[in-house]
Amino acid sequence: MSDDLPEGAPPAGGPPPDDAGTPSYVPRGDTAGGVRGSTAATAAPPGGEGGRLRRAGRHQSLLERRFARMGWFFAAPALVVVLAVTLFPIGFSVAMSLSDVTVSSNGFHLSGVTTDNYTLLLGSARWQHALAFTVLYTVGTVVAELVLGTLIALVLERLSGSRGWMMALLLLPWAMITVVSAQLWAYMYNGVYGVLTAVSEGLTGEARQFLGTPGPAILSMAAADVWKTTPFVAIIVLAGLMMLPKDVVEAAKVDGAGAWTAFWRVRLPLLRPALVIAVLFRILQAFGIFDLPFVLTGGGPGNATESLALLGWQVMFTNLDFGPGAAVAASTAGLVLVGCLLFLRAFKARVGDEESTA
Amino acid sequence: MASHEPRFRVRFTWVHGAALLIAAFVAAPLYWMAVSSLKPQDEIGANPPTVWPDHATLANYRDAFVENNFGVYLLNSAVVSVTATILVLGLSTFAGYALARLPLRGKAPVMISLLMISLFPTIALAAPLFLLMRDLGWLNSYQGLIIVYAALNVPFAVWILRNFFLGIPKEMEEVAWVDGASPLRTVLTIIIPQAAPGVFTAAIFTFTACWTEFLIALTLNTADRFRTMPVGLALFGSQFTVPYGTIFAAATVSVLPIALLVLVFRRAVVSGLTSGAVKG
Repeated sequence: MSDDLPEGAPPAGGPPPDDAGTPSYVPRGDTAGGVRGSTAATAAPPGGEGGRLRRAGRHQSLLERRFARMGWFFAAPALVVVLAVTLFPIGFSVAMSLSDVTVSSNGFHLSGVTTDNYTLLLGSARWQHALAFTVLYTVGTVVAELVLGTLIALVLERLSGSRGWMMALLLLPWAMITVVSAQLWAYMYNGVYGVLTAVSEGLTGEARQFLGTPGPAILSMAAADVWKTTPFVAIIVLAGLMMLPKDVVEAAKVDGAGAWTAFWRVRLPLLRPALVIAVLFRILQAFGIFDLPFVLTGGGPGNATESLALLGWQVMFTNLDFGPGAAVAASTAGLVLVGCLLFLRAFKARVGDEESTA
Repeated sequence: MASHEPRFRVRFTWVHGAALLIAAFVAAPLYWMAVSSLKPQDEIGANPPTVWPDHATLANYRDAFVENNFGVYLLNSAVVSVTATILVLGLSTFAGYALARLPLRGKAPVMISLLMISLFPTIALAAPLFLLMRDLGWLNSYQGLIIVYAALNVPFAVWILRNFFLGIPKEMEEVAWVDGASPLRTVLTIIIPQAAPGVFTAAIFTFTACWTEFLIALTLNTADRFRTMPVGLALFGSQFTVPYGTIFAAATVSVLPIALLVLVFRRAVVSGLTSGAVKG
């Protein structure tokens, strides 16, 4: 925090710690020796120790108030833009989901307050399926990516010479347009001329239809996701591994821990902050997944790979049912928020509090 | 500096084997994309597929730019992404500095809210933003997407920059403060010159996010002339055949700027990825 900003001893003969506009806090007759060195000052306090402490406090609060004003002035434009483009729409989404929405040439008209949209949702087999699929997909891909990413990070940690190039390569899928990777995987999965179809035929003797039936389609989509985002997890974990204090691991080895025990009991717990954030990012992304199913499977076959976001978008922008669509969107957002808070709570992560841990 | 050991002494261990496997796993689809972009139409659909094109051609690239509107999509993406990135940097540098250094109450809630917002499912924003932009007459425009992209990327940029500012030694600013410099002057003369690497990292992240965003672009800019590249690539082609050759030519071009950024500024990207993760 900033409470250590102007305290301590400014160099002797240095300028007064605040500008000339607000000198009232400086006690009369104390300007010569007062600000010089706190030890000298406490040795001969003219107004007693309490007075000096109080003066120090007031001195800080004046500076702080001035700086805080500037701070909000600095932060306000960014916060205003963010709030205008996100909070207002979120509020409007919730309002839409709770009313009858009619669309006309003059725009949207919201009338009444009703929970009909949510009732419709809860009773809808399509929504139930989308919810189940999204949850399953999120858990499955995040777990797979976490395990694979950690393994990759452990390999890269041992690779000394060419790690830089490996990391650059690993960043490529992550930085790629998801639509591009979806098109690419759709091509590779193609039932007639896809390279993966040909490979599976060569290996097993039968041509596999990757996207034609629900089960394989879900797994195929998950594989495309794992390919794209495991590298992201690997890099975060690798960075975490490299920041671990060396002596702790050494101490564990001296104490007779094998490589496995040292990893499982010592390094993994220390990695927790890095893993928690990586997993949090991935949960949020996977739960809101839209572009991958939109391009790769179109949500099919049937509704097998229809995520909540895809369902919400289609209800709103294909069927033009904005009330129920908003209910899908708002409930998706609500579920994400609740899920993340539960996750953070379970892992006791302190986000935004890193001054105390850094 | 060069090691004194001769090169052939380096032994090939299981680590190298595993690393090669990982590299192959990551690179194979990328290879397939690049190679397919060089295949003529009949070879794209060949069964079994060819590992290297028999008749390598650049026709797909010509098709993408001349026959299809790929050049327009590319331009739209570039205009929107670059402008939004500049806007984000302008807003987030000051906000990040304030949240790192200045005595504000409620920093932690602000930072957590920003993190939540930065990863909020955009589906919840799509319909209201569509309405808002329609009322403003900004559907199928640059400014509509730019302002939305800026707002969606400010939170993460603030996170990156704040973490970066926390890592800069405080002493120089303190001296400036004691000398009576205002925070504004401190930022302009002391912080910004030191912040270049952090600003740069935030820029790469923002640019990448804008370059790849799909849902909002699909919703707000539906006219072909205003489509961004991801939307153009998703909707390429007719109802019956997917022109994969053309798509992959376009896709390869779309990967190039990002690949270049990532390869050249690997360090900045990694430090940005981890500034949120490792310190939190």
